[in-house]
Amino acid sequence: MNAAEELKNALPNSVVSISFQLDKPLAIIKKEDILKAATIARDMGFVHLSVITGIDYCDRYEVVYNFLSYVRKQNLVLKVILDHNNPVVDSLTSIWKGADWLERETYDLVGIKFSGHPDLKRILLPEGWAGHPLQKDYDMKTEQFVTIGDDGEDIVSTDGSNLLRRKYHGN
Amino acid sequence: METDELILNMGPVHPSTHGVLRFRLRMDGEIIKNCEIVMGYLHRGTEKLGEMKTYLQFIPYTDRLDYISAMPNNYAYVKAVEELAGIEVPQRAEYIRVMIMELNRIVNHIVSIGSLLMDLGAATMIMWGFRERETALQLFEQLCGARMTFNYIKPGGVREDLPEGFIPKLREWMKDMEKRLVDYEQLINDNEIFHMRMKDIGTISAQEAINYGLTGPSLRGSGVDYDMRKIEPYSIYPDIDFKACTRPEGDSYARYIVRIDEIKESLQILRQVIDSMPEGKIVSNAKYGIAPMTGSPSSVMTYFPRIFTPHAGEVYSRIEAPKGELGFYIVSDGTTKPYRVKIRSPSFCNLTAIPKMVQGLRIPDLIAAFGTIDVVLGDVDR
Amino acid sequence: MEKGGIRLDPVTIDTTKIKTIKRRPVTAIDKLEDTGMISTILAAREREGLILFSTIDQVFNWARLSSLWPVTSGLACCAIEMMATAMAHHDIARFGMEIFRASPRQADLMFVAGTVTKRMAPRVKKLYEMMAEPKWVIAVGACASTGGPYHESYSVLKGVDNIIPVDVYVPGCPPRPEAFLYAVIQLREKIKNEGYGAKWGLNK
Repeated sequence: MNAAEELKNALPNSVVSISFQLDKPLAIIKKEDILKAATIARDMGFVHLSVITGIDYCDRYEVVYNFLSYVRKQNLVLKVILDHNNPVVDSLTSIWKGADWLERETYDLVGIKFSGHPDLKRILLPEGWAGHPLQKDYDMKTEQFVTIGDDGEDIVSTDGSNLLRRKYHGN
Repeated sequence: METDELILNMGPVHPSTHGVLRFRLRMDGEIIKNCEIVMGYLHRGTEKLGEMKTYLQFIPYTDRLDYISAMPNNYAYVKAVEELAGIEVPQRAEYIRVMIMELNRIVNHIVSIGSLLMDLGAATMIMWGFRERETALQLFEQLCGARMTFNYIKPGGVREDLPEGFIPKLREWMKDMEKRLVDYEQLINDNEIFHMRMKDIGTISAQEAINYGLTGPSLRGSGVDYDMRKIEPYSIYPDIDFKACTRPEGDSYARYIVRIDEIKESLQILRQVIDSMPEGKIVSNAKYGIAPMTGSPSSVMTYFPRIFTPHAGEVYSRIEAPKGELGFYIVSDGTTKPYRVKIRSPSFCNLTAIPKMVQGLRIPDLIAAFGTIDVVLGDVDR
Repeated sequence: MEKGGIRLDPVTIDTTKIKTIKRRPVTAIDKLEDTGMISTILAAREREGLILFSTIDQVFNWARLSSLWPVTSGLACCAIEMMATAMAHHDIARFGMEIFRASPRQADLMFVAGTVTKRMAPRVKKLYEMMAEPKWVIAVGACASTGGPYHESYSVLKGVDNIIPVDVYVPGCPPRPEAFLYAVIQLREKIKNEGYGAKWGLNK
């Protein structure tokens, strides 16, 4: 019995389906129950949260959690499918401290919100950046520029006249 | 005595932050009460570029993630693509890959130790380290024509076979390195000032380290003997005799010692790989159009198709890079370009633990602990 | 004045003339005496030493180019090669440049070594503005010159010359340390031919 099947036995109502991601057991979880499923996965020995990936499929968002058990030497992949209009999922920061930045990054670049996250703000791009770059409909044509305000924090605008010394040749 | 809290800003241009990283420290006198890390000053949008380039075009960008050890980056991406497309790799190519990755691991650890010592105020080690690095880079250059950004490992194999006289030169370098390593240890290991700066600084327990998602030498410094090369053996690592180096203390000194031990282990691996290097092809053929060039004078002369299309699917593939677990999550929709590339970079995840490590310490301790985590900002910001 | 060189001539000065019109300086030589220069020259003559005549341009330029102090502004991959240039093998100390200053106030050369992102751009500009005149900039690598491989990215500035003036561009990704040294030699050549005050526009 692989890890995804174990998880389905433990939480029959939360697991939508199980399959494989190449050779890694994959379980698709109802989005309300991800916190419950992750807790059980941790208790099963999957103590290492490798990565959180958010993917924009134009009609839906998917958030993929890759776990590894050091002791069992096995993988487990959890996946939640989110609505495209309002992508919100529970945060895992209460279980893994390391999930903090991974979730912030997913929010920053993909635009998925994590409810219950202690400090959900942008991490790689400055505050005020318009759009989430890894969304498929992100506007790559409009150049955004960053300047420093009086308090030393970033100000984002599409007008780079304070910064540039000549006409900017963009894409 | 009552003191006011002071917000101290460190960076993004600061000589000992290994790049453009910024700490916003809340200080109570000399003591760090809270450390907030502000990053993104080197965010180059690599993941978006991954969606805009074909599978092969993206390989050079992986070089520029962790530019001190670019070869494992190449490999991690290529491994993910190979798993996705089901490409077999000939044995000789795997041996060359592992050899060159272990060489890169040594180079990475040398630079890491050198810059750590320089941050602490000792300039000798970085001069020594760069001396050995320079000769190693000459080997890389001989192999693939580049010093830092290689673009050497390709799906199905490697780009070039070993040049003539490479192995003897590598053996010479290893012999030299062994002698130099003794010098390093004599210089640093028992240095009293070094002990005072490193011991019991930036301590993190095994439980916490796993909870924060630390990997690589930073995790093994906390006594957790988990090495991806052992847990999920890839390439030819199952056939090689080596051990995962650990130290139980979990402080900065332990992490430093783990790196020194790993240099020794890597030399050990290198020796085994060189001794049992098989002959044969360096690139696989007949899969996704990767085939030997027709009518070529030599069987090792090959070309790689510029464009190939794996099946639709998803893969997460991880390796043990010098800094920790490096993984690529690739979603393919069956076209020539990946639908989504996600990079799980070791530096980014290891950096998460810094605020926890330095709480209650002083600023020089922050520099020491930060140096032993060994981050590269290209890897953090991507 | 010979082109490109500094003339070394022993000087002949009529000392009797100096004595007579000591109180009312009229000629250039009188003015020189007021500054104490004449006594220096006389002392040098007594020792049979050499006296050097040059233009202000040449003296200043020579002083400036012989010891350019770079500011540590490593941004990305190129910074590692910048470090390699500073280390023993390539030894940038041969050009009097081994002192990488952490403070822009003490530096007169900036290697923009690496990708300038949109978020870093105002900081790079500020760093440049904090440096004291005269100052020079070398854009190192493809990224700093044009955006390089990241030209299509949403968060990378397409060339640092959009925000600050650049003196020398170095191609390469990253450039080899030899390319760094070549860029330095080119910059020295450029400084050698600068007019005094040209940087401030005094010669207009």
